[in-house]
Amino acid sequence: MGIFKRLSWFFRKEKRSYLTGIAALIIVAVLQLIPPRIIGIVVDEIQMGIITTESLVMWLAILASTAVGQYILRYSWRVRIWGNAAKLEQIVRKQLFDHFTNMDNQFFQKYRTGDLMAHATNDLRGLRMVAGGGILTMADAISVGLTTLLAMIFIVDWRLTLLAIIPLPLLALTSRVLGKKLHLRFRDAQAAFSHLNDKVQESIQGIKVIKTFGQETEDIEQFSRQTDNVVVKNKAVYKVDSLFDPAITFIMGISYFLTIFIGGTLISAEEISVGDFVTFINYIGMLVWPMFAIGRLFNIIERGSASYDRIESLLREETSIAERQGAIDRPVSGNLTFDLSNFSYPDEEGPTLSDIRFTLEAGGTLGLVGKTGAGKTTILKLLLREYDDYKGSIRYGGFDIRDYTLDALLKHVGYVPQDNYLFSDTIRENIRFADPTLDQQAVEAAAKLADIHDDILGLPNGYDTEVGERGVSLSGGQKQRISIARAILINPELMILDDSLSAVDAKTEESILSGLKDLRQGQTTIIAAHRISSVMHAEEIIVVDNGEIIERGTHQQLLQKAGWYKEMYEQQQLERAMEGGES
Amino acid sequence: MEQQELSKRRTIPFKEQMHILKRILRFARPYKNEFMLAIVFSVALAITNAALPRIIQVFIDDHLTAGSVATQTILFFAGLHFSVTIVRMTVWYFELYIFNMASEKTVQNIRQQLFEQLHRLGMRFFDQTSTGWIITRATNDTEAMKDFWHVFLTIIQGVFGVVISLGAMFLLDVTVTLWILIFAPVLLLVIRFYQVYSSRTYHEMKSKLSLLNTKLAETINGMSVIQQFRQEKRLQKEFEETNASYFDSRYSMVKINALLLSPVINMLYTLAVVLILALFGFEALNSPIEVGVIYAFTSYANDFFRPLTRLMDSLSLFQDGVVSSSRILTVMDNKEFVPAQVEDDSAQITNGKIEFNNVSFSYDGQNNVLKNISFTVNPGETVALVGHTGSGKSSIINVLMRFYDFQQGEVLIDGQSIRSFPMRELRQRTGLVLQDSFLFYGTIKDNIRLMNEEISDRNIIEAARFVQADRFIEELPGRYDAKVVERGASFSSGQKQLISFASTIVRDPKILILDEATANIDTETESLIQEGLQRMRKGRTTVAIAHRLSTIRDADQILVLDKGHIIERGTHDELIARGGSYKDMYELQNIGLQT
Repeated sequence: MGIFKRLSWFFRKEKRSYLTGIAALIIVAVLQLIPPRIIGIVVDEIQMGIITTESLVMWLAILASTAVGQYILRYSWRVRIWGNAAKLEQIVRKQLFDHFTNMDNQFFQKYRTGDLMAHATNDLRGLRMVAGGGILTMADAISVGLTTLLAMIFIVDWRLTLLAIIPLPLLALTSRVLGKKLHLRFRDAQAAFSHLNDKVQESIQGIKVIKTFGQETEDIEQFSRQTDNVVVKNKAVYKVDSLFDPAITFIMGISYFLTIFIGGTLISAEEISVGDFVTFINYIGMLVWPMFAIGRLFNIIERGSASYDRIESLLREETSIAERQGAIDRPVSGNLTFDLSNFSYPDEEGPTLSDIRFTLEAGGTLGLVGKTGAGKTTILKLLLREYDDYKGSIRYGGFDIRDYTLDALLKHVGYVPQDNYLFSDTIRENIRFADPTLDQQAVEAAAKLADIHDDILGLPNGYDTEVGERGVSLSGGQKQRISIARAILINPELMILDDSLSAVDAKTEESILSGLKDLRQGQTTIIAAHRISSVMHAEEIIVVDNGEIIERGTHQQLLQKAGWYKEMYEQQQLERAMEGGES
Repeated sequence: MEQQELSKRRTIPFKEQMHILKRILRFARPYKNEFMLAIVFSVALAITNAALPRIIQVFIDDHLTAGSVATQTILFFAGLHFSVTIVRMTVWYFELYIFNMASEKTVQNIRQQLFEQLHRLGMRFFDQTSTGWIITRATNDTEAMKDFWHVFLTIIQGVFGVVISLGAMFLLDVTVTLWILIFAPVLLLVIRFYQVYSSRTYHEMKSKLSLLNTKLAETINGMSVIQQFRQEKRLQKEFEETNASYFDSRYSMVKINALLLSPVINMLYTLAVVLILALFGFEALNSPIEVGVIYAFTSYANDFFRPLTRLMDSLSLFQDGVVSSSRILTVMDNKEFVPAQVEDDSAQITNGKIEFNNVSFSYDGQNNVLKNISFTVNPGETVALVGHTGSGKSSIINVLMRFYDFQQGEVLIDGQSIRSFPMRELRQRTGLVLQDSFLFYGTIKDNIRLMNEEISDRNIIEAARFVQADRFIEELPGRYDAKVVERGASFSSGQKQLISFASTIVRDPKILILDEATANIDTETESLIQEGLQRMRKGRTTVAIAHRLSTIRDADQILVLDKGHIIERGTHDELIARGGSYKDMYELQNIGLQT
């Protein structure tokens, strides 16, 4: 029941509609008692031969107005209680979403997309069940259960009632036990289904490999093993699931047995009337749901409270990137100075970066080269404040970047990441992602600079083409260039290209770089690349290996050094010649 | 994409719905007996349902109203009622269990056939269809079939319940039953009303939920971009709008359900009781009647109305089922099969000689991407294919691997048409090394063995050693049993390449087809890969798409392709002497060397 207390902030907020809803529910419970009673009375009046037109019309009128009254009240509580449940779901979903957007990298490494999605769907459903089904079941079970029981005792006969309801607690027990069992088995079945999904996914993604090795038959066999497993797990589910209705039937059967036997004896002894008996049988039927619901209530509460635990623990996670009190909100400008003695990723031993020191003058260009995994991207991540915990300082315009507001820093940095993520929206919206108010002209200007404008015009719907639409496949190079356009659009103080030209051919690379150079006169640029040609025109080039700077200088200086840089440069020149300008 | 499909959901005409239904029902045919049995149990259930009130009615009318009753008689009726209850319970369990299992197996059957169909389809289908779309068909749409089948159970139960309770009423009193039938048109009207209003809202709600979840997933995936551009506030606002609009349609759904579902059925039931009491009551004013019948009638009226709520509720699921079925059938009906072979079982690849004679090929049947291609590769020799993107290099491989069928000319292996070899023979004797190596979830061993159980662990280790993949594998925790996560994400592209070399070489193919990678690979692994390629080529007929000088220079023949034609051919030295486009490339490379 703790979950109701924990959700009390919401119940209090919606106090009025919950109270009205529950009041309606209770009145319905009382009204429900009328029809069986009237049936009983009419039966008795007929049997005793005392029925008159007046009394019959009166009873029928009461019954008909009960029907209408119930309808109105049922509508009223359903809309209130289920409506509130949907509202709670909406509120918590918003909380989760807002929270996610404020979380740092570490959070997203700890929780995978699938997990977060599961919380935002299944756990929200669990919560909705508590606020709707939970409240409903509790109020309904108590009101219907109690009023029916009282009616049975006072209107019909207390001895009959006490004996007939003996088996009923079994209903609550059954639904609780079966419900729990079913839940566990259902989880296994879900897991089997998700394995099956993984299998399909792999087979389709790796279809070329399977065809190449001619392993179709074996793959189909593996697939059947998975579908067999799904069947086995679901069989276990059905074994329990199919038990619910029969179990209720059985327990109610005992109750009916007692009712017929004792009721019959009482009628025979003229203690109760036939009409009472008919009323009673109908009342017993009305107790099925509340008793069963009590068992279900425990399960709803249990799952709902586990769901809320998970949601709350997500909401309790804190981001490590915070703005300082009184942070500078003037946009960054000036020289960028790296004076980093040491940085390691959280949970990782040994430094990832050490002694990275350089100054990039305002308007200058810095090149970062090195092997995959050498630390280029890590340097950029620190600059983007994805991690704040390092020894040393990174200063922009003389101030530590951690002293700026996030807006002052990030809004003026145009970062083009390695893995260019595009949203499933139109190409236009993807390019003007940072500012959707910009017009087509601005979008096109950026696209032209990124050398992607003509490609876009060649797509079925031009700038309105949806990314990820069926039949539209953008190449890696095209995606990269769209990401570049996205960054160009904001005309950033500092532009960072993180290996963002790897999938475009040499000619395009050259045209993009020279375009950027013209556009960004006096603005600062960092280019991290695997390909030397991307960085060779930079004022300073830094070669990173194992998190340390191993060589530095201009292109000419580095070639004279005859080190890693020169070796790489020559090798790449060869390859490039071979490809003959092919991407 | 999913959400687009939903929002574009067209209403499928009734006739087509029936056609789809008929076709999808065929998959249930192997489980016909189970389904029939479940239906028999369904009838039995409805009969026991009708018997129970009847027992009480007889008990009331023949005994209770007659005055004092012997304990034995009372016990008899209580016992009878209980025994029928036991039968009812048993019948009910088997009905549910058998039906559920039969529908589960039908779903399995659909899945299995769909998956087999996918493997019959050629690369054309996979090149043109997004992976996500195919996966959704095979998983979610087949899963939706379960709900679909459950709708049938609800309909069967509902129909039998209604018919048998009506029948039981007829047996008791024909006039009153006929009067009760006036509720039938009212019910039909309510059902129709509900269907019209709920289906629209229901689909709107579903598509909004899927939009909401797509947005959420996208935001999580693209979080770094969002934070980078400081768009958190905007996206929060946008999400809130979607969230609110989902709430609105959910709220309308709640309202429609409250207005037209169980409350209204409940009211109609009570009104039916009013009618029953009125009819019997007015009759009783004139002549005495049996009161037990009143009880039985009110009870049957309950059986008559009760299944309707569930029936109406499942109507929307029925629509979903038809939509999913039609999507599944689209895949089943696809005819873009793997190119057919005219198999000659005796055809074997022994030497690995490859001949292309005037081969022309197009993807769309109109624009030839290969035009009159002729060349010969003698056993053990290497031919290298050079050219720009779109020149036709990859198409030659698509033809040679039988991923696509060519239209004109002939392709011979060891003098026999490539079409005459059994597919298995072709796959066993030709090894293709793909540009981007794909690793499966499992272990290193699994990825080298690739489901071929004839390959022993020893073979695997030897193959890894041969391509020098053993060095990094030996350093892994668990070595050859080291885990490979989805798509091999924990390995560098160079390492993945080496593993795929091993999986090719462990099969000892006669013919090797190399689609060389252009991806960034760090220098150390790069040299291992080059060496691996050299070793693999030894003694094998090789066709290589080359991006790197070292692979080409010692090739026995180099083909320079341009727009589907072979424009130059010869050895490296011959082509240099000839002074054509190959020489231009080579000179470019020399300039590169001098700087």
